[in-house]
Amino acid sequence: MSHTVLVCDDAIFMRTMISDILTQAGFEVVGEAESGSQAVEKYRALKPDLVTMDIVMPDMGGIEAVREICRTDPEAKILMCSAMGQQALVVEAIQAGAKDFVVKPFQPSRVLEAVQRVLG
Amino acid sequence: MDLSKYAALFLAESREHLSSCNQLLLRWEREPSATDAVGGLFRSIHTIKGMGATMGFTGVAELAHRLESLLDALRQGQVAADARTFQLLFRAVDALGVAVEAAGAGRDPAPEASLAAALDDATAGRGADAPAGGLPVLPGDDVPRRRATDRPRGRSVEVIIRSDAVMRGARAVLAVRRAEALGVVSAVRPPLLRLEREEFDGRLAFRIDSRATDEELAAVIRSAGEVVTVRFPEPLAAPAEPADRHRQIRVDLGRLDRLMKQVGELVAARNRLGVLAARFDDPTLAEQSDRISRLVSEMQAEVIAARMTPVGEVFERFPRLVRDLARDLGKRIRFEVEGEEIELDRSILDEIGDPLLHLVRNAADHGIEMPETRVHAGKPAEGRILLSATRERNSVALRVSDDGAGIDRAAIVAKTRRDAPGEPTPDALSDDLLLRLIARPGFSTAQAVSGVSGRGVGVDVAMTRVRALGGTLEIGSEAGKGTTFTIRVPLTLAIVRALLADAGGERYAVPLAYVAETVEFDARAVTALRSREAVVVREQVIPTVHLRDLVACRERPAPMRRPTVILEIGERRTALVVDALLGQQDIVVAPFDAPRGMPPYVGGATILADGAPALVLDAAALL
Repeated sequence: MSHTVLVCDDAIFMRTMISDILTQAGFEVVGEAESGSQAVEKYRALKPDLVTMDIVMPDMGGIEAVREICRTDPEAKILMCSAMGQQALVVEAIQAGAKDFVVKPFQPSRVLEAVQRVLG
Repeated sequence: MDLSKYAALFLAESREHLSSCNQLLLRWEREPSATDAVGGLFRSIHTIKGMGATMGFTGVAELAHRLESLLDALRQGQVAADARTFQLLFRAVDALGVAVEAAGAGRDPAPEASLAAALDDATAGRGADAPAGGLPVLPGDDVPRRRATDRPRGRSVEVIIRSDAVMRGARAVLAVRRAEALGVVSAVRPPLLRLEREEFDGRLAFRIDSRATDEELAAVIRSAGEVVTVRFPEPLAAPAEPADRHRQIRVDLGRLDRLMKQVGELVAARNRLGVLAARFDDPTLAEQSDRISRLVSEMQAEVIAARMTPVGEVFERFPRLVRDLARDLGKRIRFEVEGEEIELDRSILDEIGDPLLHLVRNAADHGIEMPETRVHAGKPAEGRILLSATRERNSVALRVSDDGAGIDRAAIVAKTRRDAPGEPTPDALSDDLLLRLIARPGFSTAQAVSGVSGRGVGVDVAMTRVRALGGTLEIGSEAGKGTTFTIRVPLTLAIVRALLADAGGERYAVPLAYVAETVEFDARAVTALRSREAVVVREQVIPTVHLRDLVACRERPAPMRRPTVILEIGERRTALVVDALLGQQDIVVAPFDAPRGMPPYVGGATILADGAPALVLDAAALL
């Protein structure tokens, strides 16, 4: 059975791109979220194997969402998607419980490597 | 083997470890999730135990061993870290401190029986009044033996992140997080802050206490991705550090003091040489004199740098003090520290601890109100004391601020009128006058005034000590908002850059640290400020002091054009009018041992480059 994924990003462009990369690699994207609070809500409803999480999102940011998700599920496998120059935020996300990160612009191979590491 | 020569080292290192234990305990108590604190505590106590046992101090070793067992149980999660446990840990660390000092003084008492029993009980999961019997009761000695086989093994780890990886700092943090799943990680180098800022060459080192094998650890660390190397260097005395760390040795402070004194004399000799060389028109002599001058300056800078110590070393004892005070007083106080990295000359640092202690104690005792009073006044129940250091021009400002009730000025006025009925006391006190009143020796001992009792005692002591260092003390207090004391001290005591001024043919040195600028005295700009003479400099009215009047010089008429030195301490300024300015010079200040009969504006004496003595003015006294 393929792993299920929840893709969280406020930009449709990014969500589509990440979904495509993962779908082509055989993953099943079961949901998308465009804000942190939506991510938390959908994580609880869908219980995906993996979450990709943008850092900067409206409403509730990605780091806050990571904290919220890990509070109820410390084993949650969350992959942060960050832009260059956000190192401090990435570190904060890791402290909050994120399991790995990829840096935009995405190279499909890098994304898949990170996903494999997270799913262990 | 003769162990006595190691005693000083044992004492010094144990003190360092104990001090770090206190800090770790405080942090852990505040953030129960800070599990790395437990690891740090465990290692420090373990080190003290090892050193104590080696030295033959069985009392120290025994107490450390019991404490270590409890920490181990806490680390394993076998015992919960509740308020009672923290109280016990603090008590045990204190007792260990006493034992270490006693051992250093040649005594080595066995640990207090009640403490030893309390530690053993807590380790076995038996609180002081928890029902006994839930767990098998083990004789004290069995406790460590039982765990000897599965005790975590501490080791150093070095990790290298691939050079072409993006965000290597974040990757390194990830590697640390992965390792934390298998044990307690500490001493991460470089520190997190540098990793976040990408000030990082890909090499990471830390210590881990873990039951896992090297292979298991390496696999977990590699799973963070982009890791090229995981190594376990041979255990060293100190945790492995990246290559960019400087090597350090311990130097006896007395040796640095003597070196400083000699450099001071060298500076004076160099200055003389410069003056002498100028009398001869010999280019070779002038060149060599210049060369010596440069070398001495460099040497002076190096020696001063070697004596500079971060103020954090003095600050670190205060969190514990405030915590204990708050507990005793029934208050809630959050103590914060800023600028620990600011450096001061060691000899000043050694002297500044006491004045700060008085001010911090004052803030906790008299500044911060009781929680209910605060809530009633619409403030958070938890009071806040901030101890901060900031670098200013050639001095360092140390501030103790509280967000408490502020000083009750009306009560101070009333009390002063009672104590000294002859003196006129205005109804509205300026900050300066307020400080002068509460800093009067014995201000608060005569009669208790509610809300201000004790206020003066510490301030009086602090003021004296700070002034002796050539520093200044200021106060700012606002009713309901809080009080801030500011201590300003020079960066270093030994050698001071000074401005030489002439008044009536005598030379005076003004420390440059407090000189804001020099201007020409313009008789047309003279005005009056509260019935004192003042000058207007760039639209600011500054009170004047004539050095001639000060030193009661009646000889020779004052020149028509007179330079004016603007002295500045914090917000306060004074214009010192002199006859002439004679340039700058590095001077070695000799403080007066017997200040009796010496006017207050004199801070010391010095020998100038030409061999003549000069008085050094105390800027603070002129303001």
